Amino acid sequence: MTVISHITCPVCGDFCDDIEVTVEDNVITDVKNACAVGAARFLNYATHRRTKPLIRKDGELVEASLDEAIRKSAEILADATYPLLFGWSSTSCEATRVGLELAEEVGGVIDNTSTICHGPSILGIQDIGISSCTLGQLRHRADLIFYWGSNPWDAHPRHIERYTMFTEGRFQRSTWRKYVSRLGGTVTEKRLQRTANLLLDHHPPTPIETGQGLPYTMFQKKRKMVVADVRKTRTAEAADYFLQVEPNRDYELLQAFRMLIRDGELDVEEVAGVPVELLEEVADVMIGCELGVFFFGLGLTMSEGRHRNIDAALSLVRDLNQYTKFLIMPMRGHFNVTGANVVFTWQTGYPFAVDLSQGFPRYNPGETSTIDILRRRESDAALVIGSDPLAHFPKKTAQNLIKNPLIAIDPELTPTTLMADVVIPPAYVGIEAEGTAYRMDHVPLPLKKIVDPPETCLSDEEILRRILNEVRRIRRKLN
Amino acid sequence: MIILTPKRSFTVPVGGECISPDTFAAKSTSEMANLPVWEGNKKRALGHLFRIELKTAPSESLTIRIRGDAGRIRRIGAKMSSGRIVIEGNAGMHLGEEMNGGAITVVGNAGSWAGSRMKKGTIEIKGDAGHYIGAAYRGSNKGMNGGAITIYGNAGNEVGCFMRKGLIKIHGDVGQFTGIHMKNGTIYIGGDSEVRAGAQMLGGKIVVLGRIPSILPTFTIDDIKSRVKIDGEKVEGPFYRFLGDLAENGNGKLFISQKQNTHLTPCERFL
Ligand code: SF4
Repeated sequence: MTVISHITCPVCGDFCDDIEVTVEDNVITDVKNACAVGAARFLNYATHRRTKPLIRKDGELVEASLDEAIRKSAEILADATYPLLFGWSSTSCEATRVGLELAEEVGGVIDNTSTICHGPSILGIQDIGISSCTLGQLRHRADLIFYWGSNPWDAHPRHIERYTMFTEGRFQRSTWRKYVSRLGGTVTEKRLQRTANLLLDHHPPTPIETGQGLPYTMFQKKRKMVVADVRKTRTAEAADYFLQVEPNRDYELLQAFRMLIRDGELDVEEVAGVPVELLEEVADVMIGCELGVFFFGLGLTMSEGRHRNIDAALSLVRDLNQYTKFLIMPMRGHFNVTGANVVFTWQTGYPFAVDLSQGFPRYNPGETSTIDILRRRESDAALVIGSDPLAHFPKKTAQNLIKNPLIAIDPELTPTTLMADVVIPPAYVGIEAEGTAYRMDHVPLPLKKIVDPPETCLSDEEILRRILNEVRRIRRKLN
Repeated sequence: MIILTPKRSFTVPVGGECISPDTFAAKSTSEMANLPVWEGNKKRALGHLFRIELKTAPSESLTIRIRGDAGRIRRIGAKMSSGRIVIEGNAGMHLGEEMNGGAITVVGNAGSWAGSRMKKGTIEIKGDAGHYIGAAYRGSNKGMNGGAITIYGNAGNEVGCFMRKGLIKIHGDVGQFTGIHMKNGTIYIGGDSEVRAGAQMLGGKIVVLGRIPSILPTFTIDDIKSRVKIDGEKVEGPFYRFLGDLAENGNGKLFISQKQNTHLTPCERFL
């Protein structure tokens, strides 16, 4: 039995680096410090995994040797006129680097999953710029935490505990105790409400009246949290204040905040369902904080307006910096989506949606992005790595993806691997293979190898390297 | 006149930068046929993809006519400075990008980024157009800087994004964020507009003749005007005039038809 500590968790963008695992006979038997999602990954990753490559023959996926699968993949890519290489957010930076080399060699479009998550954030940042920092800074100093369209309680389970409200910073205290006592209060309040409704026979039950205006906790000199979202999530329940935005009206609300921060007056009574008086109070709290941080998630990037919402959020933070210190950070999803953006950028100059078909990089989301290419049915082959587009893409794009040859590098049984023409199961990076990944705040951390992979499973990097060599061999032969 | 007829239909994108009167000028048909064109990742000769016919009429300026569908051909007429291009079907993205003179007519629809960063000349689209008409390149703040774009059908989002000068006339409807970040110039919408027209604008003028669901809270009503002038031509109103975007200290003007937008009547109390 060996205990390995300081392991990084290859699941969400928080990329926790304090995990401890126990290994017995090449099997992980215990995990400490991880959240439920992370622990499940370490303990159950191998439950449904595949170990043998598959190739589609006469409409059926049949087992094949690794060499055969690699040869077939190389042939598909070498033949294509406009291949698409998609995924990259759940693999190591080293594999992404080889992927970019492969995309250049085959003259394809390479795109990572930002294209369907934080792509709008990147477009906003390119237009406006960003004032950001590392999570360590926030942990010690931030006294106002703003989550907009993001629900870390469920999506980044240790974010609040490690970096914001419930962490003991050098200059800011944890609000964990306050939360626990408030939780008790909320439960009692709910019980009372239920009893009152039963006794008074209210149909439908009437909620207890809460007064307009911010709660007193928002004016204390303590760490506080505001959540803006379309519905009251678990994160919102833990917040000092929750702003309920009408769906798809985030842009209006952000612009209204900008105006109030400039001491402007609004000619309306409410914006996006929130009364202007309340907005003025929240704006005062934002100006009055010592260090504020604005985290935003897909609730903002994917609500109507997309990159313009981010444009407004970044501008709001820029405006706030005239009065106090305010920072902003996207809540990245996959553990290495930031790394995919970083590697893409240092290799090609652009963070996602890079078209290398003419031998040099071109970038124009909307034109060179995966969804748009597939919607217009322009690509004629695809390689997908560490992603399941068939389960997540819009119907028409998913249909177009499988009309052409498809290669999937993925150990899991997913709709994409089931419909692919070649399936190559790799070793799990961060568990069976090592590498590097970037946390959401652009801090690179190592992915460790904890157990040995099955003999037939190579790392993503090695598989891609072999496909690349095979493509080069085919090209040489043709020339 | 030079007539280009596609020899087959295209699926992957074709780079049509060379289809411009400036490139074709003083070239024989065989020289034109040898011009390089990218079809996906394959470098081909123009003659491989198009049949090229030359019909010279000495008096007229150089005209290129594309017979057939050019919906997958991008950057037709990019950087052209004179002459004329007529596309009898659809045109692909980036039509007339960075155009510096001359005229383009599209009988069908045009893709996104038509007339982006153009400086001079005219583009006329008889059908619909995509998003980002007369816009800037991604990450740049220099949109259309002169010339005129007329669209008889509808257009998508972000028409005139970062526009600095010139005129965009759309007779149909438009999507969201018309004139976002625009500094100057005029956008005329004959039909309806979706929300957020004039978002983050610093200057310039947007006229909406049809209905708009709402005006951004960062605009303030300033006046009711009986008519508005567009490129020397008077358009009869009455129009609400809004100023903004105040979140950017902007001085842009939104002219919104009063008759079509009775839901905006409550704004009049601020006058
Ligand atoms: S918060 Fe994310 S990175 Fe941390 S343990 Fe949970 S799943 Fe893993």
